[in-house]
Amino acid sequence: MSGGYNEIHPEPTTFISKYLISFDHKVIAKQFLWYGIFFLGLGGLMALLIRWTLAYPGVPFPVLGNLLFPDSAGIVPPDSYAMLFTMHGTIMIFYAITPILIGAFGNYCIPLMIGARDMAFPMLNMLSFWFAFLSGVVLITSLFLPLGAASGAWTSYPTLSTMIGSPGAGQTFWCVAIFLFGISSTMGAVNYVTTVITLRAPGMGYFDMPLTIWGLWLTAILNAIFVPVLGAGVILLTLDRVLGTTFFLAGASATSGSGDPVLFQHVFWIFGHPEVYILILPAWGIVSDLLSFFSRKPAFGAKSTALAMTAVTVLSTLVYGHHMFTTQMSPLLTQSFMTLTMTISIPSAIFFANWLGTIWKGSIRFDSPMLFSLGVVFVFGLGGLTGLHLGTVTTDLYLHDTYFVVGHFHYTMAASVLLGGFAGIYFWFPKMFGKMMNEKLAKLHFWGTMIPLNGVFFGMLMIGYGGMHRRIYNPFVYDSLKRLIPINEFVTISAILMGLFQIVFVINFLWSLKKGPKAPNNPWEVGTLEWTIPSPPVHHNYDEIPVVKCGPHELGNPNLKTGRDFQYQTEELVQG
Amino acid sequence: MKRADLQSNLAMTVTLIMGAMLFTTLFMGYAIYRSASTYWPPMGFAKVALGLPTFSTFLILVSSLFCYLARVATQARKVEKARLYLHLTLILGLAFMLTQGFLWSHLKATGVYVSSGIFASILYGFTWIHAAHVILGLGTLLYLEIVLKNTSDSTIRKVINVEKFWHFLGIIWLIMYFTIFVL
Ligand code: HEM
Ligand SMILES: [Cu+2]
Repeated sequence: MSGGYNEIHPEPTTFISKYLISFDHKVIAKQFLWYGIFFLGLGGLMALLIRWTLAYPGVPFPVLGNLLFPDSAGIVPPDSYAMLFTMHGTIMIFYAITPILIGAFGNYCIPLMIGARDMAFPMLNMLSFWFAFLSGVVLITSLFLPLGAASGAWTSYPTLSTMIGSPGAGQTFWCVAIFLFGISSTMGAVNYVTTVITLRAPGMGYFDMPLTIWGLWLTAILNAIFVPVLGAGVILLTLDRVLGTTFFLAGASATSGSGDPVLFQHVFWIFGHPEVYILILPAWGIVSDLLSFFSRKPAFGAKSTALAMTAVTVLSTLVYGHHMFTTQMSPLLTQSFMTLTMTISIPSAIFFANWLGTIWKGSIRFDSPMLFSLGVVFVFGLGGLTGLHLGTVTTDLYLHDTYFVVGHFHYTMAASVLLGGFAGIYFWFPKMFGKMMNEKLAKLHFWGTMIPLNGVFFGMLMIGYGGMHRRIYNPFVYDSLKRLIPINEFVTISAILMGLFQIVFVINFLWSLKKGPKAPNNPWEVGTLEWTIPSPPVHHNYDEIPVVKCGPHELGNPNLKTGRDFQYQTEELVQG
Repeated sequence: MKRADLQSNLAMTVTLIMGAMLFTTLFMGYAIYRSASTYWPPMGFAKVALGLPTFSTFLILVSSLFCYLARVATQARKVEKARLYLHLTLILGLAFMLTQGFLWSHLKATGVYVSSGIFASILYGFTWIHAAHVILGLGTLLYLEIVLKNTSDSTIRKVINVEKFWHFLGIIWLIMYFTIFVL
């Protein structure tokens, strides 16, 4: 494997080597960012189609309806509905959040924040993006297949996902796409783990790393361990579909000797629960850092935050059974999984309290990255609390597979990760592109996202609590659910509003890219390494590898005599 | 340890953990299928005759030995010797694949088809997945055939990594041999 080993690489000159087949972590980060934003838009459009169907069943989708569904006069048909929620979930989780939070920020921040010139394995990094790209192509192609894309939900449980439930090629394409994406993720994981361990600047101990890096590093470790589990699952599923094995077929659908559909659920959630932490850990890290930066004081208990995040990482491997309480598990198992699930609350509460401790009595600057970070604190609080209702067996038996679950994971995953991602984008945009974003539009974008977002997701919690199941084409054929129509309309209108406000972001992003004022080296006045170099950084990041002398959150130290209220990580810690 | 060596070791360790997790998942599934069924092999099936799988085991273990010798020779800076052992590893690896082919046609000849239920699914599915990894391993051996022309540090690192992967494949096969064929 050709390795960088932190020497200076010659700068690429041709268009292809500079922008396409680039080995430069900064360029690869931007590739992932564009890729993720594209899929965010696509997944968001699908969400609106789903929401429209739930609020106005039988009414054609405005504007695009006739174009997308000519055969049904613009109304979303039932089979397309199943495809839409399947692809929405798949796209948002694997093709939007993962590339932005892990692909873009991981690639951009890790080398810059630890003072390295690139990743440990630049070529592997390049391949990681192109595997993701290939995977995206396969997934998009599947939308145009004769029988349509996969429609067995993002969890793709058999028998829905076997040839019995999904006879079309869409589900097979889905498996292939996920497998390719897994290859991309694990390549990234190898790189991140190795880079953080071996390329930290001299003087930087693990606890001198910004918490962003902690989050990304723990994510990479979880990725390396658990993505292959899903890999095994989709391989077996593909074999069942294509070559006629019967791993997940039971009963009459398995001609002789029975497979086990529930086994897939185990495999999926052994991966799936760590996966949700894979997605949230980078956001936690980013938020932990930003709260400190914009409160102008050190991160409260930074070390315990890092350790609590590590504890969550370890515990997250032991709780997957809480997704399967209703599969007739033995009560001994459900009780154990419930207890383990509740145990996660302890480290979660620790770093959550640390967040509050960080902003407590800070001289808070309400710049857009901070607004989004505070947003995360709020929505993640709600999301985490609703998790407790689901983690308790007795309440989950009622709430399972209702919109309450959908509300829960949108608060934890969609809301927290999305807001965390936006915080990161607003924060690092000046470093990435050397331009400032428009702060007024950013604030408009924040409120325009935050308020409808709570309308959408809190509404989901309520309709779920009211008994509405997820994944039903038209819930209102059940009389008992008719009374939920008004809340459903409210949720849909909020969703449309939230969607519209994303246009503000896109405009701001594109406009700033072209016309934004030039960014200074350190617009936010923080001390981590990436802010010691020009915006955007030169090809090899650091002319000289920096030497780290203090932690990442040295803000508001009363002994500082430099006229600044922060110090760089390259400066000796000022003492009284 | 030099940084490049450390990076190479770390990356390979993570890679092997990934491979181990993939196969662990398969074995976990197998354990569940077996503990859930009253008879194994299920009614209407017989155990696979051990001759062919044992021969495969022999081949892949000896190839592992040659791979080890190739690495030792590379580290001792004896290119010619290293290449000889590399050829032998590659040949035995190909022979292993050949025996797998025989195994599959033997299964078919004895009436065990891919779609004959869970017993057949495991026999075919697991050996296929392992074989796919062996093909990958053969690819890395071929790559070594190209680059093992000198004994620079970077060549040595490559040989070490390929060796680890090849042993990994051998160990997985050994576990499969005992759990699927012998037990
Ligand atoms: C704070 C502690 C948390 C607890 C106790 C918890 C508990 C649970 C439980 C018990 C379920 C299963 C509900 C059911 O299907 O009946 C669930 C579903 C889910 N949770 Fe959480 N959760 C927590 C945090 C998170 C976080 C941080 C994320 C993501 C970033 C997350 C994402 C999800 C997802 C995606 C699902 C649903 C998957 C599906 O069925 O499609 N959860 N959670
Ligand atoms: Cu979970």
